Amino acid sequence: MIRLNRSSAVTWAVGYVLLGLAALAAFAVPLWYAWNVTIFSGRQEILRDDAQRLTELFNRYGEGGLTAYINARVGMQIAGERTLLLTDSAYRPLAGNLKVWPRDIPDKPGTQAVMADLAGQPTHTLLVRTTLPGGYHLLVGRDLALFLPLERRFTFGLIAAVTFLFLVGVAGAILIRRELLARVQGIRQTVSAIMQGDLRHRLPIRRTNDELDTLSQTINGMLDHIEHLISGISNVSNSIAHDLRTPLAELRSRLEELALTRPAPAETFAEVDAAVADVDRVIRIFNALLRLAELDTGARRSGFVPVDAAAVTAEVVEFYEPAAELKGVAFSFASDGVAAVAGDPVLLAQAVSNLIDNSLKCVAVHGAISVHVGRRADGAVEIAVADDGPGIADADKPKAAERFFRGDLSRGTPGVGLGLSIVDAVAKLHGGVLQLLDNNPGLRAQMVLPVTSARTNR
Amino acid sequence: MKILVVEDNARVARFVTQGLREAGHTVDHADNGRDGMFTAASEPYDVIVMDRMLPGNIDGLAIIEALRKAGNRTPILILSALDAVDERIRGLKSGGDDYLTKPFAFGELLARVDALGRRSSGGDTDRALQVGDLRMDLLSRRVTRGARLITLQPREFKLLEYLMRHANQVVTRTMLLEAVWDYNFDPQTNVVDVHISKLRQKIELDSERPLVRTVRNAGYMMCEHDQA
Repeated sequence: MIRLNRSSAVTWAVGYVLLGLAALAAFAVPLWYAWNVTIFSGRQEILRDDAQRLTELFNRYGEGGLTAYINARVGMQIAGERTLLLTDSAYRPLAGNLKVWPRDIPDKPGTQAVMADLAGQPTHTLLVRTTLPGGYHLLVGRDLALFLPLERRFTFGLIAAVTFLFLVGVAGAILIRRELLARVQGIRQTVSAIMQGDLRHRLPIRRTNDELDTLSQTINGMLDHIEHLISGISNVSNSIAHDLRTPLAELRSRLEELALTRPAPAETFAEVDAAVADVDRVIRIFNALLRLAELDTGARRSGFVPVDAAAVTAEVVEFYEPAAELKGVAFSFASDGVAAVAGDPVLLAQAVSNLIDNSLKCVAVHGAISVHVGRRADGAVEIAVADDGPGIADADKPKAAERFFRGDLSRGTPGVGLGLSIVDAVAKLHGGVLQLLDNNPGLRAQMVLPVTSARTNR
Repeated sequence: MKILVVEDNARVARFVTQGLREAGHTVDHADNGRDGMFTAASEPYDVIVMDRMLPGNIDGLAIIEALRKAGNRTPILILSALDAVDERIRGLKSGGDDYLTKPFAFGELLARVDALGRRSSGGDTDRALQVGDLRMDLLSRRVTRGARLITLQPREFKLLEYLMRHANQVVTRTMLLEAVWDYNFDPQTNVVDVHISKLRQKIELDSERPLVRTVRNAGYMMCEHDQA
């Protein structure tokens, strides 16, 4: 189990809850403030207005008028709505709904919020106290307890909202965490299995295309590539071991034989020359492997320039013409004009050279090789080398470009079995492919190079 | 020629210095970058052969750059186990004149050292080249042997020009590939040999003395006098 405080899902959920609380506070605090200030001062104003009006009544109609008015009003109003009391200068009640002048009222005019003993019980009251001419005292007040249920409802609502938010947040955190943990756990298990060496595992995909799915798909793509590379490496290691073993074994026996038999100098030197040739063969294999490794890294893409594939091919064809002529092979070249691609001219030349070299080795004396550079309907450049040689068996075609693969038909011909691999790697470096097709009879090997996307291919 | 070999591997150094001495050159050897730098700066040499990986993690390229900054113009052949094209380009950019990858055939090294040494003495401003009775006019691009006019394809002309410029020197197939075709890869078929034999058919009629000689284990040499 991942510890709670380290789960990113929980961190996120707690963060969201805190954010929700902050938003709620940002909403409630101004409201609370408005309630307390605006409404409170509004109430004060109403009370003051009331007191003012009663004072005016007193001034106009005297004690009798006011007493009558207050009594009439007290009789009409809902109980407790307004506290009214008029007393004489000795605080003896003259009119109003209070029996006695409450104690605990500060002896000063103006608005006050106090706990006053109204009708025998202490009540939270907002009071306006006025002293009328002739020593009369007037008290106009409002029982604040009347508002308590409203305030309580507001507070309750707020607390309920906070609680709800908190609960939802926690529940969400738990759910998200469980869901996320389950999927992360799945990924972890798969990856552990892969780390233990079984590269065939793939991450589960839900087809929901959410973030984790996209991530899993990307990782699966990476795993495909790694698996391909690893199998390539192990194949290559085997093949290198095999292909190098032969010349090295020859070399070893040659040298050992020399040491044992100690032949005449002339023969010794002939053997030494042969040994050097053996070593050269090993070096050639290494050079081809290094070139392949260089191609696989894709580093050569940085040197890409606009290249006319037709011109490059024409030069290689010209380069091979005398060799073809010598073998009596009909060698033809045709192009549809300039075939511009972004690429490495030397590598393209080497790839075309390898294709022609292959064909030249395979075709019979008086055979035919035709080279064509053209543009496909989709704008891709196609460099094709077709011959009427033995071709490649259909079953071998997918493997033909693999490193060190040598078809049965090509066994016995010179070469190290890396020629097509290099062509394939060059095509891939240029974002294209090498296709091996039937030429009926013979082989049609063609590189298809896209014009623009030379950098997008891995 | 006087040649300085800067190479730390004792076996390779012995192989190279002995071979160069046998070919008639005077050879000095330095087995580390500091000595190499000091010797190269204090004595005039015709060619310097510089290994890239020197003791103490010194890159031979750094020494070359320092020498070039100090105004030393001696032709330098870089020896390196680094084969990548980028490395080759870096080597030539740093001020090296030629780049040879290890392992190499001695014939290849000797031919390249000769070519570099010759370049430092002769200029490229010739208007005509002549080997025996074979004459190449570089301006009118006319090739004649005695009174006979020889018609050549542009590439054949370039090939012959390279051979004539390096007359009496061995030129290897790789050198020809690089100089004439600009290819730095190794075609598996002996295409260069076929080109040479085709050129020979044009410049050496049956009645004429051969000019291009095949040097075993190395390449070709164009020379006036048939030394074989």
